[in-house]
Amino acid sequence: MAFFSRIKQWLGRIFPQGPAGEDRLLLILFGAVVGICSGLAAVALNTSLHGMESFFGQYRYNWWSFLLPGIGAALSSIFLEKIIREGAGHGVPEVIYSVSRHGGLLRMRSTFSRLVSSSLTIGSGGSAGPEAPVVMSGSAIGANIAKAFSLNERHRIALVGCGSAGAVAGIFNAPIAGLVFTIEVIVGEWTALHIVPVAVASVSGAQISRILQGNQIPFTHLHFDVDVITTVAAAGLAVVTAGACILLTRMMRTSHQLAGKVPVPLWTRAAMGGMAVGIIGLFLPQVLGEGYHVIREMVEGSFGGGFSMVLILMLAKILATSLTLGWGGSGGIFAPCLVIGSFAGLMFHRGVDAVLPGFLSVNEGAFALLGMAGMISGMLQAPLTGIFLIVEVTGGYETILPLILVSVISSTVSHAFEPSSFYFRDLVEKGHYLRPRTDAKVLADLRVSEVLEKDCASVPKNMLLGDFLKVVQQSRRNYFPVIDENTGEFAGMIHLDDIRPYLFDNLLHDTVFLEQIMAADTETVDIDDELSDALDWMDASGAYSMPVVSNRRFVGMVSKATLLDRYRKELMLQTTE
Amino acid sequence: MQLSLEELAGCLDTHPDIVLRWIRQGRIPVKRRQDICVFNPEVLEKWAAVNHVSFTPPEKKTRPLLEEKPSGLARAIEKGGIYYDIPGETVSDVLRSAVERMESVAGRRLKDLLLEKLLDRENMMSTGIGSGAAVPHPRSPVRHEADGQPEEQMAVCFLSSPVDWQAVDNKPVFVLFIIVAPTAREHLHLLSRISYCMRDNAFRDLIAGRPDPEDLFAAVSGYDSRLDAGTA
Repeated sequence: MAFFSRIKQWLGRIFPQGPAGEDRLLLILFGAVVGICSGLAAVALNTSLHGMESFFGQYRYNWWSFLLPGIGAALSSIFLEKIIREGAGHGVPEVIYSVSRHGGLLRMRSTFSRLVSSSLTIGSGGSAGPEAPVVMSGSAIGANIAKAFSLNERHRIALVGCGSAGAVAGIFNAPIAGLVFTIEVIVGEWTALHIVPVAVASVSGAQISRILQGNQIPFTHLHFDVDVITTVAAAGLAVVTAGACILLTRMMRTSHQLAGKVPVPLWTRAAMGGMAVGIIGLFLPQVLGEGYHVIREMVEGSFGGGFSMVLILMLAKILATSLTLGWGGSGGIFAPCLVIGSFAGLMFHRGVDAVLPGFLSVNEGAFALLGMAGMISGMLQAPLTGIFLIVEVTGGYETILPLILVSVISSTVSHAFEPSSFYFRDLVEKGHYLRPRTDAKVLADLRVSEVLEKDCASVPKNMLLGDFLKVVQQSRRNYFPVIDENTGEFAGMIHLDDIRPYLFDNLLHDTVFLEQIMAADTETVDIDDELSDALDWMDASGAYSMPVVSNRRFVGMVSKATLLDRYRKELMLQTTE
Repeated sequence: MQLSLEELAGCLDTHPDIVLRWIRQGRIPVKRRQDICVFNPEVLEKWAAVNHVSFTPPEKKTRPLLEEKPSGLARAIEKGGIYYDIPGETVSDVLRSAVERMESVAGRRLKDLLLEKLLDRENMMSTGIGSGAAVPHPRSPVRHEADGQPEEQMAVCFLSSPVDWQAVDNKPVFVLFIIVAPTAREHLHLLSRISYCMRDNAFRDLIAGRPDPEDLFAAVSGYDSRLDAGTA
């Protein structure tokens, strides 16, 4: 660590701090380094995926080839669960969770774990994509570089974003998509502090991938003559892709719930899901793997089969993807979305063509392309990512008008049915969806200990009311915690409003003990509890403050007044740039 | 500049845990080395202004007023002085001679202003609190643009002969406790202490005997220390 801090000191001398003490220049340099590393990770995953595909490919024509995806998924599950000890999952929600809750902290082993597990799953034929795993790797690279140089949380989050951007830019050769995806989905904060280093990382990630793999556009196509009819028809296609998004989201959920009910080890579960995919693959081999060759055929307009064939393929791909990911395989949702989206586009074009022959003058490849944009935008509910990704991976700028339309409509329609996107759903359900500059984030950052009021005099429960009046005279508060003087434990609360009738009755002064007039059933909050829970209780009961009790001892009070003061300061701090 | 976490939290008027989190999250231009916070005060001041956080540099930080306890009765009497044989037949004559004698209200203009305010107050309602004592006081702090305002004090004036003061118990007044205070809070403090003393028979007997300054100080200091300790 001393080595890293010396480098940091040395760099700090070259790159001066900004006027408010931020290290933006330094971050650009770090962004470039992280971008290169995650670009390399993307290339490594691509290479190992191809190696794995050719290894499994030689057994593909045997009758038992349906076992292959099962074996791959089982191996990947064993690797993650037993060797690396990480949960399965796509990776992207984990990164978002870490960004919103732990300042972007990710484990060192995450830099490579998903690369290995996803190449096993996808290379053996599982229906998943390599993008989410490489995003996880890139983000973990960024987080660990930030940790090595002991950067603060804001800078660490920026480097996590750099890792994710470099990875997406590297694997798709799509620098703008890398930038937009990171800001829109991972970081959620459009500020210069994030955009600048993330953009640099995108550039370096894409550049390193171009140096090593050549400047290829993944899905090249013929020229499209996009006219006004295409733009109008794109609105119709958006409804179809949104439907596919909703179907995929719900199938994944059902499939995950179903898998949870099967009482076998995780790796067996993954093997069962994989084998089911293998069986589908026996009849429809197009659904296996990441499926980029299928997309290429569709975008080029050379994909055979009729309307019903494409419909069956689309449904089969949705089923295969939910079987792979829902049952414990490892991989991302990006590539399957692209495949499903292009099936949806093709199906829509063929459907319209069957009803109104010659209505759509443009080649069906254009609709495959639009379908991909609709599917990505709808699934991620991130329209900008959909638009830029598809423009970059197809080089199809001439389709930009219908592309924008299909992206925004698809994400809006799927939002109406599935309010939280596929990446955010689990986080929302667990209350971990904390976007920057939101009430939830500000409240989650504040701890009970930070708003604790300690200037409350506690009183013993055997005190006489008359003696208590003297305490009241000296105090500036209305709340008094009552303590059991023998054990020191918290016994209850006295609120002046509640005992006002007794205060002026001299007869009671020497006859009533505090124990008799205190509220013994007061709700309390622990020092480690979430502040939002305390606030919910205060809202529900109409109270303005509540006692904090830890290990049955009174430690202080939380009140809405202090909370508002701190909350406002925190809000201003988090929203000014 | 280097400060401990608690000191820095004091300058920012917030909780140390919050400052610690801000440093960890990188929201504040402060670096932490073990338990010491290192920062550039100018940068921090600019940051505080931009983010609407109050920041008081440590050397400029003054103790808040509420922490300061008002001085006791003995101190106020020491300041105001004890006077004997104040002449006069009427309330206004007596007050005029008393104010003339008060040494710690310096200057013609301040003396006139104080007398005017004391007479105003007596015209509204007598300050005779019974048992031969009166507590003349202005209704608002005495302040003159050029001469400033007198310090917190209480002048104890024994009259040469008792005067009818229209007191609550209709008994003639033989001693005045003139209260002069710069704030209402200090005024109430002195008023409450003298009224506490006057409720005690021993104090009333002492006053009736026109005690020497030493005896009066000893008695009043005794009440002060009991009230300060909260045992009274």
